[in-house]
Amino acid sequence: MHTELPSEEDYISDLPQSIVETILTKLPLRDAVRTSILSSKWRYKWAALTQLEFDDKCVSGTYDRTLAETNLVNFVTRFLFLHDGPIHRFSLSTAYLQSSPDVDQWLLFLSRKDVKDLVLELGEGEWFRAPSCLFAFKKLVRLELVRCELDPPLSFKGFLNLKHLNLQQVLIAPDTVENLISSCTLLESLTLSYFDSLELTIRAPNLKYLILEGEFKDICLENTPMLVAISVAMYMTDDIAEHFGQSSSCNFDKFLGGVPSLQRLIGHIYFTKYMSIGNTLRKTPTPYRQLKVIELYQVSFEDMKEIMVVLRLILNAPNLQELQISGSSNSSSASEAPDLDFWEKECPRDCTFERLKMVKMTDMSGVPHEMGFIKLLLGNSPVLEIMSITPSVYVTEGRLNLLIELLRFRRASAEAELIFVQDQV
Amino acid sequence: MAIIKPEMKSFIWLQTPDELIQQVEEEVAMFCPMICREVLRSGMGSSKNFAIKLPEQVTPPILGLILDYCRFHQVPGRSNKERKTFDEKFIRLDSNKLCELISAADSLKLRPLVDLTASALARMIEGKTAEQIRETFHIVDDLTEEEKLEPLKIRTNDPRVRLLNRLYARKRKELKARKNLKNVEVEEERVDDRSVDDLLLFINSGNEDSKGVKPTKNKKKNRRRKNNLKEPSSDIKNGNHKKETGSLSSSHNSEIEDCVSPSKLLKMLGSDFDFPEDDFDDDLDPALMEELDREVEEFARRLNSVWPERVQGIIPFGQSRSIASVSRN
Repeated sequence: MHTELPSEEDYISDLPQSIVETILTKLPLRDAVRTSILSSKWRYKWAALTQLEFDDKCVSGTYDRTLAETNLVNFVTRFLFLHDGPIHRFSLSTAYLQSSPDVDQWLLFLSRKDVKDLVLELGEGEWFRAPSCLFAFKKLVRLELVRCELDPPLSFKGFLNLKHLNLQQVLIAPDTVENLISSCTLLESLTLSYFDSLELTIRAPNLKYLILEGEFKDICLENTPMLVAISVAMYMTDDIAEHFGQSSSCNFDKFLGGVPSLQRLIGHIYFTKYMSIGNTLRKTPTPYRQLKVIELYQVSFEDMKEIMVVLRLILNAPNLQELQISGSSNSSSASEAPDLDFWEKECPRDCTFERLKMVKMTDMSGVPHEMGFIKLLLGNSPVLEIMSITPSVYVTEGRLNLLIELLRFRRASAEAELIFVQDQV
Repeated sequence: MAIIKPEMKSFIWLQTPDELIQQVEEEVAMFCPMICREVLRSGMGSSKNFAIKLPEQVTPPILGLILDYCRFHQVPGRSNKERKTFDEKFIRLDSNKLCELISAADSLKLRPLVDLTASALARMIEGKTAEQIRETFHIVDDLTEEEKLEPLKIRTNDPRVRLLNRLYARKRKELKARKNLKNVEVEEERVDDRSVDDLLLFINSGNEDSKGVKPTKNKKKNRRRKNNLKEPSSDIKNGNHKKETGSLSSSHNSEIEDCVSPSKLLKMLGSDFDFPEDDFDDDLDPALMEELDREVEEFARRLNSVWPERVQGIIPFGQSRSIASVSRN
């Protein structure tokens, strides 16, 4: 095959607009707009872009915050003014610009453009109050808002095409957010972050992915039969702790009572504690047949109730394959742990974790309940391949004892590897 | 890979635009969605006489490249790292080859290759000066110096641009694009609603602090223009000049007009008066910059200079927003 000399012709200027758009979309917006001075053909190629992503890099760096803000506003306004054609995605992510009438006007302009994907992240300080035209984005499929205030008009019936909703640090009344969620009937993924003291009931018949992070007093998944993955990180305040003390309902049932299709459950910080309120070890009416992966972080192995939550989960997940648990215990109270005879007497002996292949325990302090739990797993997992134990960084002297105890446990699986991780990277 | 006897291995017959026909292993060719569709839909490609006609962008050398790509990636067992290494080597081609490749991959609907090539081309554009880009891609600079300094005009009435937009929209199977065009015409009737909306918006959002005057939607400008006299406002404009960039000294009136040239955009915003076409240009100060962001500032200044008298007309005393500011940790 002979090698041809590269031709000196201009191929790129004659590519169809759809391909040019694919190329220009991979550039920062500023560079895309700069192509307008390449030649007469290039003058307006950028103006037909349908995926617009604005951020602080669109304007030259300057230390003067007011100037940066003004520049960004000018850039966006000018861009939108000269833009021609549909806009499918509009994303604005800035640390400089805070709430401003300009943003309202941009949203008004965009609400007529059948935008499908909207991301708005404005700066700290005065939070942006979403104008009513935001609720006129009828074709919206994906919405992400950071740091703003939402107050839908009474006539708002929901985003009927919305599939992905992500609200972070958003000021919104609890029943408003509930109505918002339930009115978006096609909603598949929901992320709520940094909400304060929220009591939430979620009704979303098509919801598959749920991510919650913040201070939640109460979460009830009332109508979420299609949920596939849940990730919750719960923070604690005194207010919430008090609420926990007074609560009489079973949080476990309220949260995990109606999720038969669940495949993945991830809980952080105080999640297990939240789930332990009102919990008992009775069998769940419908076991979690699809549940394959459970990850629970900061489980306190001194609290018997939290251990019950973990047990209830793994005993009702017959197809569980992977389990990751991190502890948060204090080894100094090791010898005084109550209910030490639980593992010998009350724990169900005939349970078998038929599919469990991988277990990873981190931040282990060596408290008796941790040992009891690991012993249970090792003794009842016939197909276990890896049991990885990482001691907590605070445990310095007891490591050898920990290891010795671990080695004694009977293993149901001949293939099981016991990995003791010495140095956490 | 299972050992397949030569006579059992299937081939697909492809015909390149130069009428030459070649046969390609089935699993390699079927990696291209367009070929796959042709085979499944019409049963073509099974023999020499029924070879699948490839689009004109797929010349024999380009087809060779594409098949190399397909041959590597259709093997299921490869790791992500292997694929990435292959891609990085594969994409080391000159700019025009890349253009041919992206065009051909697009016609075959081979999206991963389109994305890969587009990224490579984007890397050649990002961060480079106009001169460097022109050199890389052999683009002829046919813009006159004046044209480069001009503010970009709204050319939505250019039929070529419109046609491209429509073709593009259809290509992406956006029925909504046609609705868009319909909506555009419908919006003319909604003039009255919008003015109330905007008033409310302005009243609600107010006109606060000293962040500088805010640029406004051109629609507002259209409405007020008829009522504004140029002379009294020029003082305000000059005042703003000094406040803002302070470096430009072009004439204002004509420039404001040419930015709102008659166009579909105007119709969409419900304005019902026509601006004279010949108000186009332009006695821009030749000392003016070439960079687009400077044009942006100039344009903004122009917009800003028309803002004050309009604000005074709408909001008597300037209300401030009342939003409880919440601090978050």
